[in-house]
Parts: sequence; C-alpha cells; structure tokens
Amino acid sequence: MNINATLLGQTLAFVIFVAICWKYVWPPIIAIMEEREKRIADGLEAAKKADDSLEEAQLAFDQEMNKAKAEAAEILEKANSRASQIVNDATEKAEVEAEKILSSASKTIENDVNKAKEELRQKMSELIIDTSEKILGDEIGPEKHQELLKKAAAEL
Amino acid sequence: MASASGEQTSAEYIQHHLTNLVCGKTPDGWTCDHNAVDQMGFWAFHVDSLGWSIFLGLVFVGLFRLGVPKLSTEAPSGIQNFIEMCIEFVNDNVQSIFTSAKNNLIGPMALTVLVWVFLMNLMDLVPVDYLPTLAGQVAEATGMVENSKDAYFKVVPTTDPNITLGMALAVFVLIIFYSIKIKGLKGFLAELTLHPFGKWMMPVNLVLEGVNLIAKPISLGLRLFGNLYAGEMIFILIALMLTFSSISIGLLGVGLHLIWALFHILILALQAFIFMVLTIVYLAMAHETEDH
Repeated sequence: MNINATLLGQTLAFVIFVAICWKYVWPPIIAIMEEREKRIADGLEAAKKADDSLEEAQLAFDQEMNKAKAEAAEILEKANSRASQIVNDATEKAEVEAEKILSSASKTIENDVNKAKEELRQKMSELIIDTSEKILGDEIGPEKHQELLKKAAAEL
Repeated sequence: MASASGEQTSAEYIQHHLTNLVCGKTPDGWTCDHNAVDQMGFWAFHVDSLGWSIFLGLVFVGLFRLGVPKLSTEAPSGIQNFIEMCIEFVNDNVQSIFTSAKNNLIGPMALTVLVWVFLMNLMDLVPVDYLPTLAGQVAEATGMVENSKDAYFKVVPTTDPNITLGMALAVFVLIIFYSIKIKGLKGFLAELTLHPFGKWMMPVNLVLEGVNLIAKPISLGLRLFGNLYAGEMIFILIALMLTFSSISIGLLGVGLHLIWALFHILILALQAFIFMVLTIVYLAMAHETEDH
C-alpha cells in the first residue's frame, strides 16, 4: 500500500465526477424540487386565501341576513301600525258616520213628529171647528171660521 | 475459494488479497507485470482500485442522471423518490453547516462524496474471494498470467489509501482555494500565522496552524481508509476460516461472515456520511471570515 500516482488519478476522477454532478445532476433535480416546493406553497396560500374569502363571504352573508331580518321586522312593524291606524281610522269614520246617521235620523224623526203634530193640530182644529159649527149652527161664517182656525192652531 | 487455497499458506492468502493490480513505469517502460512492481516509482497506478472507483462513480452519475428526464413536479415515485431523498438529506446537512456563506459547489460535491464513497464502501460486502478469483480466472484464460494466483485484484477502492487520500487531496486543494478566495491571500496567511498567540509568536503559530491545516486532509483520508481496511481485513480473516478443511470452522466462518457483514453495513454508511460531513465542515471553515 505505497502511495503512488493512483492518488493523482483518484483526485482527477474526484474532480471530474464532482464537476459532472455540479453541472448535470444537481441543478435539474434541485430545480424540480424547488418548483414543487413553490407549487405546494402556492397551493397552500391559495387554500388559505379561499378560506379567508369564504370567511369574508360568510361574514357578508351574515351581515346581509341581519340587515334583511331587521328590514323585515321594520316592514312588519310598519304594516302593523298602518293596519291598526287603518282600523282606527275606519272605526272613527264609522263612529262619525253612525252619529251622523243617528242625528239625521233623529232629525227626520223630529221633523216627522213635528209634521205629524202640525197635521194633528190642523186636523184637531178643523175637527173642533167642525164640531163647534155643528153645535153652534151656521153662526160662524167662512171668515169667522178661518179666524177661529188660526186662533186654535196658535193656541195648540 | 478452492482455487485460492491449495498450496497457499494463510499469510500468502492474506497477502494476495491485500495486493493491488499495479500498472506502472519501470526503467524498461510501462508494464503491468507484478514482478516489476518493485522497480516502479511514483508513476504506478492501482488499476483495480482506480477502475472500480471510476466505475462506481459512473454508476453514481448514471443512477442520478438517469432519473432526470423523467423528473416531475407531481408526487415523485420510484427512483425520483430515492434521488430526492438523497439530495434533500445532503442539502439539509450542507445548509445546517453552511449557515452564513453560500457556495453552490458544496451541495453537489457533498452528494458526490456521500454516494460515491458509499458505493465504494459497499464493495466490501461482496465476499472477498468472488471478484479476485473471477479476475484470476479471466487473466489466466486470456493468457495475461500463467497461473491465476499471480493475478492480483483488490476490489474495495476505499481500502486503498491512494483513493481516500486522493479525494482528501482534492478537498484540501478546495480548502486552500476557498480560503484564499474568501479571505484573500493576506487573510489566509494571517490566519495561519497570527493565531493563537499573536504576532510575536509567528513561527509557533505557523507550526500549530500548519499542523492543524495539514491534519485535515490526512485525517479525512486515513479515517476512511483505516475503517475500511480494518473491515476488509476482518472479512479476509473470516474467509480464511473457510480454507481450513474442518467443516465446523467453516460453518463458524459463514456465521461470522454474516454477522460481520450485517454490522459492517452500518460502518459503510457511517464512514461515507462522516467523509461527507467533514468535507462540508472543512470547507465551511474555509469560508469563515470572522476572527477567532
């Protein structure tokens, strides 16, 4: 095991193989590995982004939902109050109308009563006069008759 | 096994397993003759170690490059899973050690070191006689040697200090290169001479820091070599039990081989990992700019 030129031969072989590995073996494999690493990192980032946007969408959805719910509640409340107002109005109107009808009816009735009274008075006067005429005979002339009638009517 | 035993003594058997197939320069020119090894100087190559090392390096590159055209950014499957697992493991280690400085050479280098050294260590699990015997038969059949026992073939590259120190040398050169590149020549020299005792003790500092610097590649290379050499040695000794004529010793050898192989898997992976981590740490230290 003496040292000889084999040593130099091996050194040369070493240099050549390292150079081959350096130029032709290492770079393509490392490049592929780095590319894959990058792709995985990109994928993870995209997944994270998608997750984030999903969360965002969920948030926006929730917000929108709450808003819609609030709006619906508001509309409902408005409708309710409007309905009750309408009912109130209608009731009021009906009451007024009813009163009106009632008062007009009572007026009519009063009128009728007055009319009937007037007629009754007239009739009664006539009846009285007629009866009086019959009792008194022809002493009362037409002028007197008219006068008496008027008197009676005023008295009644 | 049978062909390796015969008239061989135990010592010869072990020696045979620890001897490389060497091709080198002798005064008469280049030769692969084992008898001429003593005449070879520095310019000799362990053809077996270097061949397996390069072959396994190609296996590594092929394995990792093969999956590239089919890579997809979808959920990975099959070989892509394995490749990405390795790369991620290496990248995690690099990034945990290289906290401040950035250097895109470190990752690929650490990956190469980890997988390549692991593959080289893994050859240790091939039973020690298979490949040398095969090589011997081939050499005899093709007429390269007269007797298959004269053919030497040492398979596990990381049991050859030339291989481990060769890689450590490359790391060492990179340490110096990046030290100078990041800190400047002045900064690097200052680091070597002004610590730990201040500028009036420069020679002492230089010796201390010099040892510190030199120890890095030496320990890096020798640690891997020592661990694998010891493991290989135990495999050889266990295999030696099978060359005895006693059946009970043979069976014991098979059991021991199994146990040691299982345990050795841990060492193989661990040593590859340690080599990678130390490579990263040394280079990270070369990139550090702040004063201690």
